[in-house]
This record gives sequence, C-alpha cells and structure tokens, in this order.
Amino acid sequence: MKTDVDLKGLHPLEVRLLLEFSAGEQITASALSERLGYKVGQANQAVSWLEAKGLLVEAERTTAVGFELTELGAEYARTGTPEERIIALLRDRGPLRIPDITAALGLENKDVGSAYGSLGKAGALEMDGEKRIAVKDPDAATDVALIRTLLDRAESADGRLLHEVDLSDDERRVMESVSRKRGAASAPFRVIERETVTYLLTEDAAPVAGALAKAGITGQEIGQLTPEMIRDGSWRSATFRAYNINVPPAQSIIGRRNPYSAYLDEVKDKLVSLGFEQFDGSLVETEFWNSDALFMPQFHSARDIHDVYQLEAPTHAREIEEPYLSQVASAHENGWTTGSRGWRYGFDRDFTKRLILRSQGTAVSARTLRSAKVPGRYFGMLRCFRPDDVDATHLSDFYQTEGIVLGEDVNLKTLLGLLEMFAVEVAGATDVKYVPGYFPFTEPSIEVHIKHPVLGWFELGGSGIFRPEVTEPQGVSVPVLAWGLGIDRMALMKLGLDDLRELFTPDIQNVRRRRVG
Amino acid sequence: MPKIEMYRDALFGYIGRTMPESELESLLEAAKGEIDESADADGVMKIELNDTNRPDLWSTAGLGRQLRVYLGGSMPRYDFFSRDADARDPGTRRVVVDPALEHVRPYIAAFAVTGKPLDDASLKDLIQSQEKLCTNFGQRRKSIAMGVYRTGLMTFPVRYQAVDPVATRFTPLGMERELNLNQIIAEHPKGVEYGPIVADFAKMPFLTDANGEVLSFPPVINSARVGAVEEGDQDLFVELTGTDLESLLLACAIVACDLADAGHTVLPVAVEYPYDTPLGRTVVCPYAFQQPLIAELSAIGRILGEKITADSAVTALHRMGVTATESSTGQTIDVQPPEYRNDYLHQVDVAEDVIIGRGMRTFAPEMPTDFTVGRLTEAERFGRTVIGTLVGMGYLEMIFPYLGSGRDFIEKLRPVPIGDPWEGVDQRPVKLANPMSESYEYVRNSSLPFLLNAESVSAHAAYPHRIFEVGKIARFDDADNHGVRTVDALCFVAADADAGFTAISGDLSVLFYYLSREYRVEESDDPRFIPGRAARVLIGDTVVGVVGELHPQVLENFGITVPVTCCDLDLNAILSG
Repeated sequence: MKTDVDLKGLHPLEVRLLLEFSAGEQITASALSERLGYKVGQANQAVSWLEAKGLLVEAERTTAVGFELTELGAEYARTGTPEERIIALLRDRGPLRIPDITAALGLENKDVGSAYGSLGKAGALEMDGEKRIAVKDPDAATDVALIRTLLDRAESADGRLLHEVDLSDDERRVMESVSRKRGAASAPFRVIERETVTYLLTEDAAPVAGALAKAGITGQEIGQLTPEMIRDGSWRSATFRAYNINVPPAQSIIGRRNPYSAYLDEVKDKLVSLGFEQFDGSLVETEFWNSDALFMPQFHSARDIHDVYQLEAPTHAREIEEPYLSQVASAHENGWTTGSRGWRYGFDRDFTKRLILRSQGTAVSARTLRSAKVPGRYFGMLRCFRPDDVDATHLSDFYQTEGIVLGEDVNLKTLLGLLEMFAVEVAGATDVKYVPGYFPFTEPSIEVHIKHPVLGWFELGGSGIFRPEVTEPQGVSVPVLAWGLGIDRMALMKLGLDDLRELFTPDIQNVRRRRVG
Repeated sequence: MPKIEMYRDALFGYIGRTMPESELESLLEAAKGEIDESADADGVMKIELNDTNRPDLWSTAGLGRQLRVYLGGSMPRYDFFSRDADARDPGTRRVVVDPALEHVRPYIAAFAVTGKPLDDASLKDLIQSQEKLCTNFGQRRKSIAMGVYRTGLMTFPVRYQAVDPVATRFTPLGMERELNLNQIIAEHPKGVEYGPIVADFAKMPFLTDANGEVLSFPPVINSARVGAVEEGDQDLFVELTGTDLESLLLACAIVACDLADAGHTVLPVAVEYPYDTPLGRTVVCPYAFQQPLIAELSAIGRILGEKITADSAVTALHRMGVTATESSTGQTIDVQPPEYRNDYLHQVDVAEDVIIGRGMRTFAPEMPTDFTVGRLTEAERFGRTVIGTLVGMGYLEMIFPYLGSGRDFIEKLRPVPIGDPWEGVDQRPVKLANPMSESYEYVRNSSLPFLLNAESVSAHAAYPHRIFEVGKIARFDDADNHGVRTVDALCFVAADADAGFTAISGDLSVLFYYLSREYRVEESDDPRFIPGRAARVLIGDTVVGVVGELHPQVLENFGITVPVTCCDLDLNAILSG
C-alpha cells in the first residue's frame, strides 16, 4: 500500500471518486458527471490530482464525433430550411418563377436554384414550360424530412449536440451534407471532435479508499463555514474537512511603518525621554541663520557656492530681524560686546539675506536660542542639503540630529557627561572616547567616538560649547552646549544596509520585507 | 578640511623621534588631526586636519613643530619677524606697489630664503603649503595666492603693478609661447580656474622685477622662467598677494617658519605701498601682528568645569606652543600666540588650548543635573496620528529625498505631450540656482512624483499597492519672509487593477474622521487627473489638498501600467483647520 498518501491532503473531489469507483471500473468525465455530479473542471482536477498521486492511470483515449447546431441551424429549426419554405410557398401560392420565389422568401437566386436542383432530382418539384416551379410530390422530399428531424432533435439535445453514434445510417448520410468542420457559419451543423479519456484506479487506490472509509472521511465534509450554516444550524449535522495545515501560505499584504523613519522616531522618543524638547525649521534658510549667526565668517571655506545650494528665485529674504542682524554683524566685525576681537572684516548685509537650502541642522539651533528656556534642552531631526555627488556614502539631502543644552552648569565635564549619555542610551555603546574636534561655532569642540558591539570604533557625533559670539548676539548669557549625532550609520546598521541610498528606497517590496535588526 | 601628504620620516624628523602609527594617531589628537592613509611603500602618508583656523598645521614642518612641542620639545624662536616699531633690515630687498592696485588686489607680502638647497621633501612640502594655504585658507586664491621664484634670475626692487591685460604678454608656466593676460584667462588651465578672480578689472595684477623680467600674473600663473622652482634651488623669493593684509601676513609667517624649520635662512623684504594700510605704508615681512591676550582664570575654569591654577594653565598652553605668564593679580594670564597662529579671537579659544594641552583624558564626565521636560512638536505628534491611521488602513510608509529632477517633478506630470503641466495647479517646485546635476535640481512640492516613481519600479511587488509619505515640501508663499514656506505634507497613493476614486475618497473620509476634522470637496480641473475625477479638498474655504484618479498619460509617462489614485494633503492646514 502507498503509505505516503496523506488522507487529510486529499481533496473532497478525490475522496469521493476513490470511494465511488472500484478497481476495473471505467472512469470518464461523463461517468464522474453522472455518478458524482462533477462538472468538467472538477472532473479534470480530481483526475489529475489522483494521477499525480499514482492512484489513477489513463487506460484508453478515444475520439467521439458530434454535430453541434449552429446559429443558422437554430434559425432553420425555428423558421424552416429553404427547401421547406419553398415547398410551403408553392403549395400556398401555386407555381412561381424562381425570381418570384426569391423575392417572396427573401432568399438569393442561387439558393433557390440549388434547392430546386435537389428537390427536382428527388421528384418533389417540377418546372413547367413557362419556367414556373410547381409541387409535384411533396412526399418524395425524404431528405428534407430527415433534416427536419435532425434539427428538431438537436435543438432539444444537451448542448444542442447530436452524437454520431446515436445517428442511423440515413441520418449520417444527410448530416454529412449539412455539416461543416470549419467555416460552419454557412451550414446548420458544426462537426465537433471530442477526445474521451478513460481512467482506471491503480492497485494502490483500494487501500487508500479503505483507509478513508475507516477514518470516516466521506468527501462530503464542509470546507468553508458559512453565515447561513451558523444561522440555520446546519453546522450541527455537518463535519468539517480537516485542512492540510502544512501548505505554505501566501504572505498577507499589510500596512506598516517605514523601518528607517520608524528608527528616526525611536531616536526622537529617546531624546524626549532624556528631557529634550523638539524644534523644527524651514528647509529654505538664509545665510544669516545657516552660518552668520553661527559666527562662521562670510569668507569661510564651507560657505562657498560649491558647498551650499542657492535658490534661483527668490534669491533673498526680505529682512533679517533686528536687533539680531546688527548684533551678529558687529560680532563678525569687531566682536560686539562679547570680548572677542571678531573676524575683522566688513559684514555683507545683502549676502546675509541670501536664500539657501539649510546645510546644517545647527541653523535651527541658532534660531532656537533667543526663545529657549534656561535651563533647557532641545533637539531637532532635520533634513539638510549639500551639493555632493550622490553615492553610497553621500546623499543630496540627509538627516542631521542636532540640539542645544542651556544652563549654568554647562561646561566641559557636563558636556562629556551628556555625550556619554548619548553614547550609551542612543547608540548602545560599550566604550566612549573623546577627542578634540573643530567646529566654527563651538569652543571647545569635542568629537565623541564610541565602540559599538557590531561596528567597532566610529565617530558618533560632535559637540562643543557655543562661542560667546554665537550666543550673546541672540540675548543668551548662559553657556550653551551644542551637539550633533550622526545617526545614519546606526540606521544602516539597524536595517542591515551598507548604502545610504537604500534608506530612501523606492522599491515597495524592499520596504515590505525589510526588518529592523 | 585639508588632507595633507607627507613623508612619514620627514614628520618624525620634525617631531624629533619615531613612533608606532598607533601612538602617532593618538598624538595627532592634539592637532585635531587623524591618519587618513597609512604610509605607503614610499613612506608617504596622508593626514586629515580638521581645524580650519590652524593653517600652520597643514605642512609637515608645521604639524611636526606642534607635535614636538606637545611632547615637551622646546618652543621655537624666530628672529626674522618684524614687529610694531621694530622692523628687521630688508637690505636691498624691496617690493614697490602700484597705486592702481588699491582697488584690485591691494596687498602683497614677501620674503626671501637662502642658505640651503631645496631637497625633495622640502620642495614637496612647500608646494603643498602653497596649495593648501591658497585653496583652503585663501578661498581658492581669491584672498591669498602665492608664488615662489628663483632669486638668482631677478633683480630687486620687485614691481607689483596693475597692467593692461591686452598689452601685457609673457610665457606662462606650462606653455611654450607668449600670451596676453586675457588669452591666459581664456586658454591656460589655471587661467580658466583662477582668471575669474581678476577678469572683471580693467587693469590686472602683474609682478616683475626691476628690469621688467616677468615673475607672475597673480593670482593666476607664474612665468615659465623665473617662476619655475626645482629641487636644488637655494635662493628663493616668496610672495603672497591678496585682499586681506592680516591673512596674507599669517600665511607669509607660516611659510617662513616652515622653511626656517627646514634649515633655510629667512631674509626680510620691505613692501612699499603708495596708499595707507592698517600697518602703515611700509611693511617689512615676515611680520608678527599678533597682539597679546588677557584670559581670566575664572572664565577658563567655568568652561572646564573646575578651578584651574595659573601654573597649570601656563604649562598646558606651553604644550600648544603658546607663551603665557601669570599676571600680577593672579586672576588672569597674559597670553602671546606664536607668529604663525591667528586663531585666538576670544578667551574661550585659550580655554580650549588649555584643555588640549592638559589632555582631554584628564577630565571626567559629569552628568548635568538641570531638570527639563522633553516633548515633541505639535506637528510631529499630529503627523504620527496621521501615520498611525494610514498604517491601520493598510498603507505602507515610504520615505524619500527632498530634491529631484525637473523631469520627475514637472515633465512627467504633464497630462499631454505639450503644454503647461501647472495650468490649473497651485504650485510649481522651487528651483535651485547651483544644482550639481539635473537629477537634483528642484525642491519637491509634493511626495507624489516619488510615490509614482516607487510605483514604476515596483510592478514586481504583489498588488494592491497602498503607499504614503508624511514629510516636508516647499511652496512659494509671498507672505513668508523667505518667499517660500516649508509645509508638512501627506500624500497617499493606491495602485491596483480596480483602484478608483470611490475607494480613495473613502480613505480620505476615514482619515478626516479620526483627525476630528470636517472637510468638503469641490470639482477640480487639475490636469494631472482624469477630467471629472479630481476634487479639491477644503476645510471651510481653505484648500487643504487634492484627491483623484491620475491621468493615464501621467501613468504612461512614469511607466506605470495599473490605475493609480492619490490624495495629497497639507497637514499644517488640516492641523490648524
């Protein structure tokens, strides 16, 4: 016995076939239809599945010919064949010439001509000296009568189909004259050739059928439980088909967060939990806030046309708010009242209004200073723009995570403490190292390098204490710590990626499948 | 941030000893430097230097000097500097300046060297200093350009003139024939690169010796004869021209100190101006312009987070090459930066050098104790509600860049092959004046082009597709000080064989339900949509977005073969609606 047939894996169509037929019985589509009520499609499915399981084999393949009534044939059946109509007309109106018959019946001359030819030959019609056709002996038109019976039988037959095996010799002869294989539109019957395949159960089938019977599986089990069955209680007498739970399912399509932006939100939430308040700002900035307010001299190399995107139009902001403009300008020119000597150049008040795309998140930190609370902690997750060639490590626009901390207790040691907190809480660092760094707007400036369990040592971010030339023109007198974290590297690691462009993938399947590590 | 190349052994020579690379790596922290590439087979290594205010570190000699002093080596003393009211003797070495230069390129600094032939390492270092100083510190030669010449081929006084660019001709370095200055600007590679600095002036800077022998056409190119310096040359003339006297004198001091450290004798040169400069009409170079600074110990302590004594501050500064002494009150220290540095603007700069000089590792982190309340912005919280609702509806969140091409943002949104795609639409995208490429030329005014791009590349992903993005867009707004306003926006898109207006409207409706906002719709003739299947979404009389079935021409433009519906909304307007 075949031991590898999983009874639960058998479909009801297979089960019922196995239980219905016994060894040696011929199994055909029509037998399945008659005895099990299978439609053609169901029969095909049951047979092919069982064949695949080795429970059924093909025994014989025969071709059966049938004749299907065409649209023309159906019309003849209803209104009569041309021959019938000619005889009826002549009986009714007496002898007529061919053109008159043609006109009266709406036929064509050649059709009437050919009808007269065959009917005359059979002795049913005759032509007089004035070329008029008259009825001679209607009973002589035997073929006309045979065609009539074929048409009538076909019209009421299943599928309007007459099987060749069911026809008498005379009927077969006549059928030959009124049927066509192809181009059958001009004939009342179309010749149909159908292949009939006969199958037999294999010797493995009987044990399976026995096992089915023993298991009480009938093939009548319920598939889908329906609302009707629940409402009318018919489920009580039903048994439910056991499903093959091992069939691998197609995965569902769901809505979900984008893993990259979800990670960014996670970082934001972490910062909020550490007491930071979020700020945000305009993508289009002025040179003033992007750099001047940060005490970056207007001739600084990072302010070159190659380093900052400018707008085609409009090109300049209408105004920079006072007294901040004048105070910042003075800080650049002579240090204002900060105790600095300044950069000692003529501050360009037109250039400072020039519109650019924010190139550093610190621009928004600068904007936040004048309204910031003391003590206060702030952060922003800000899209920044730099004219870089886009590759695996550079994007046209990218996120910077930036912020400030204001307070009397801001100093080098608390700065290091804060960086340590970021390293451990945000980045999951196992070791932290601080090295002197350089940013035009902070003094001192510190870079924080962390040892990550996976990535090893890398630079987590930069930080420092804002120069007085930055804070005092904004009306801030307490020390302000400024910090920035490079979170893209951690995002790549979280997502198992190594190309920044992948963070912004347009591929829907990628976003559907991507998991956060 | 400049990266400099140097012979590792030359660097060790200046430091005074060799060391393993790992030790050098941590020593470099004192100079805010890091090893970019380890020494190759020729012993050449690359070091990146992060402090743009310390151009004195951008050479082997300068970096080596800082590291030597940091390790306890003696402070360098240079006796060739002139100071306020204490000029060195220039002998016959003079540069005479033409009055016409006052408004073209007014300043020049110069000195000469002798005493030792240039070796390979020194020549390379000199050329690199020239390059880094002029590019990174001198704004690509705009504020500083430098030239080196063979003194043996020239006669003092040197003449710094303003000349007619057509009438003046010479053979520039790298070419074999005479060209006039305009031709050099148009044809010589350096002319193409640096010519624009002076191209708009009727008369251009020009440097010759006393006999009219051409030295150079600053800031563009040296002459092929006097201006060609080679290994083995011993007597050199170095000049720097520019627009800011102080930067020029600093660069001049840096190069002079480097050459002095390499064993050359530096000889002063007098520059004679026919107009006033901040330092008078005659400036003998190299010139030390640095003023002493007074730093309060209490201010330094406040930055450090602990009290510091005058002694320990002075010791720490000494390691940074800075001379400092305790003042008589004991409350302050007097600080004298070295001649090759000009980065002390404020006493906070002194504080940082105290930190580095003492060593970052001597400071222990302390947790801040201030209490503050954290919170997200209102727009962020609203955006998260929107995202949660969309995800609940089965939408997949996408995230895209903010810059893109005119082709995606404009042309592909055309419903017809010709015509204005923005007719009937409120907003065009903001265009950049200096894009790097056509691919990143516009700031987006909607997520829609990106969502359609996602559709066009995602036909392999099982349908239906329901995708969205919450992000920022830029819109023209005359009422804004910038003329452009940043908007928090939502765009969601459904793509499927049976995607239609009814379904997307249902999603719009349920979104507004959960946002507790009432909206209404008006017919829209927005040409990006199928006529009769687009609607403006309004709260009261304010248009807050659009919803509709995208025009098949638009889909075809993006290479999409299934129907797509979209809804594009202004979240700020909805939040305040």
